[in-house]
Amino acid sequence: MMRRWVSLVGLALCVGGALSAQGGVGRAAAADGAPTILVSRQLLEAQTLAIGDDVLLSSDPSGSNARRFRIADAYEPTPDPMQLGAARLEARLHLPDLLALTADPSDPQAAESVAAINVALVDPTDAPAFARDLSTKAPGLVARATAGAEDVRPFVVLERFHLAIALVTVIASTVFLLALMVMLVEERRETVGILRLIGFRKRRILLQVFAEGLLIAVAGTLFGILFAVAWQGAINRFFQWRYDTALVFVRITPQIAWECVLRAIPLGTLASVAASWTLLRREVLSLARR
Amino acid sequence: MKALTFAARSLARQPGRAVLGVLGIAAVGALLFDMVLLSSGLVVSFRDLLDGVGFDVRVMASDAMPLAGPRITNAMSTTAGLASLPEIAEVVPFRIAEAQASGREGRSVALTLIGANVTARRPWVVVEGRDLASARREAVETSTSGARDDNRPGALLVNRHLAGGLKVSPGGQLMLRASCAQDSVLPAMVFQVVGVADFPFDDESQMTAASSFADFSRACGREGHDEADLLLIAAREGHGPEGAVQAIGRVRPDLHAFTNEQIVARMQRTGFSYFRQISAVLSSITLFFGFLLITVLLTVSVNQRVAEIAALRALGFSRRRIVLDVLCQSSLLVGTGGVVAVPLGFALTVWLDRILKAMPGIPATMHFFVFESRALVLHLILTIVTALLAAVYPMRLVARLPIAATLRNEVVS
Repeated sequence: MMRRWVSLVGLALCVGGALSAQGGVGRAAAADGAPTILVSRQLLEAQTLAIGDDVLLSSDPSGSNARRFRIADAYEPTPDPMQLGAARLEARLHLPDLLALTADPSDPQAAESVAAINVALVDPTDAPAFARDLSTKAPGLVARATAGAEDVRPFVVLERFHLAIALVTVIASTVFLLALMVMLVEERRETVGILRLIGFRKRRILLQVFAEGLLIAVAGTLFGILFAVAWQGAINRFFQWRYDTALVFVRITPQIAWECVLRAIPLGTLASVAASWTLLRREVLSLARR
Repeated sequence: MKALTFAARSLARQPGRAVLGVLGIAAVGALLFDMVLLSSGLVVSFRDLLDGVGFDVRVMASDAMPLAGPRITNAMSTTAGLASLPEIAEVVPFRIAEAQASGREGRSVALTLIGANVTARRPWVVVEGRDLASARREAVETSTSGARDDNRPGALLVNRHLAGGLKVSPGGQLMLRASCAQDSVLPAMVFQVVGVADFPFDDESQMTAASSFADFSRACGREGHDEADLLLIAAREGHGPEGAVQAIGRVRPDLHAFTNEQIVARMQRTGFSYFRQISAVLSSITLFFGFLLITVLLTVSVNQRVAEIAALRALGFSRRRIVLDVLCQSSLLVGTGGVVAVPLGFALTVWLDRILKAMPGIPATMHFFVFESRALVLHLILTIVTALLAAVYPMRLVARLPIAATLRNEVVS
């Protein structure tokens, strides 16, 4: 019988040790009552395992003191941006099985020890008060809200970074837009001159430019949002394939769409008005002159 | 008049438009330059950091990344065995645990405790007081029996944050409770602070302390006794890191040894992958955006000048000369914008680097954006290619311009 040992990266309910697949033997031993485990989809694929297979798990890298388990099912690990690019070779065991597998026989407390206890509160807003009470009543225990600031810090930083990039992009786009509008307005120099000569007031022309700028900005913004919506699926699928993860990389929410609308339309309109104003300030005759 | 001078005068005729074009290209170019720096910045910085510590090889019990896998057992005998290899100059067993420390004022802080036996090289830089090795020698010398006194407080190096946080300085004492396993409940131990040191892998707010391996083991009790998270190895001159890795593989095939270059390559595939992807995506978008910007500017400019171009052709300017004029305009816009983009990009990296370095676990000495001449060359190549591609459509317009029809239309209109 050939055994393949692979390291499993440890999580709360995972064994940081070794796994050996025994294809063929597993199904034959189906009636022996081997404890069941869940394995990550990535582990299942990487080791060409199948649901119902028996595997040997050991907490020792050499594979000593291994125990037999049966794969009950596969699961998709919780997407974690901090583990992007890492192979999620994980398994989930029933707690008594994990303790039996990892406990130090010379330590009587080992079978009674866990790394963490997850608590669901009736009112989640009580988390800080609960943590305080627990720390007072059981010194040595550390209670932490799962929505703690430390856990979300990397995402806050990434969000700030993306915002900064977006800001630079918006500045570049605004300059681009302004250059474009200046050129378009220049192209209409004669038309504006004639309109002024036949009696159109500056305000009236500016209003017309404003309406036109608004229409272009609305159309451009809508196109941009629709373009992003159309591409988000492709971007997500590419990166999910690239990193073998269920993480969602791009999600265009209504809030994001509204933020884009609120920034893009005023900027677009302002650019067209600003560009036109430079033209309207000139003398009427200089506008009409060829 | 040469094509470049002619193009420069054409742009100077409409300074507002030219300035806006250059500014737009500069902003896009700055972002592109930053993304080129980001694509390799972390790798370069991480390599510098690893090399700067002074050790060439890291040895672990598994092929997991440092500190992520199981520990090396029988650390002392393994260290002695590897140190005797002719390819190896020095071996330092290294162990890390979490700890709680409290100073005189009773304030308690969480910190990272390092245990390492250092001799010649050390993975930290002492900035105040003494190092652990000299403190250990002194302890042995002052002992009446000439041996180490187990009741004497262990020597401890602290980083500046910890020294400032607990208001301790060399000569002061700290109560330290190590947490060497997940279910650890160990008693507190007294340590004497012998010095303040900078630890290269500390992040902006990390509190770190280091003790000798023996003192670390005492603080950890029997948990992980004689175990090391990794061994830091310096290869002997003439053999190189690869030689050291091969030698370790020969005598201890159960251990996993990696050169700094191999660790950097692994980090590049996993940990830094996100920023490489982000930089690739943003570079592509920026290039496309720059291409669009220049194409639109030149196309609109050409469309506005069709009559002038047709007149020049009628006067005897060759098609090649007129096309060259458009290309020169594109080159001038992109060239000027590209030159402005470099200092602008540098200024932007300071801001972006500060934002990203707030990420937990990023050593303070590491940078996301690191200047390399290779990055500048790549930036130049990308900018030149963009300028050329962006000029293709307006050049085609100019080349195919019907002279007689254009002039007639111009007169009629």
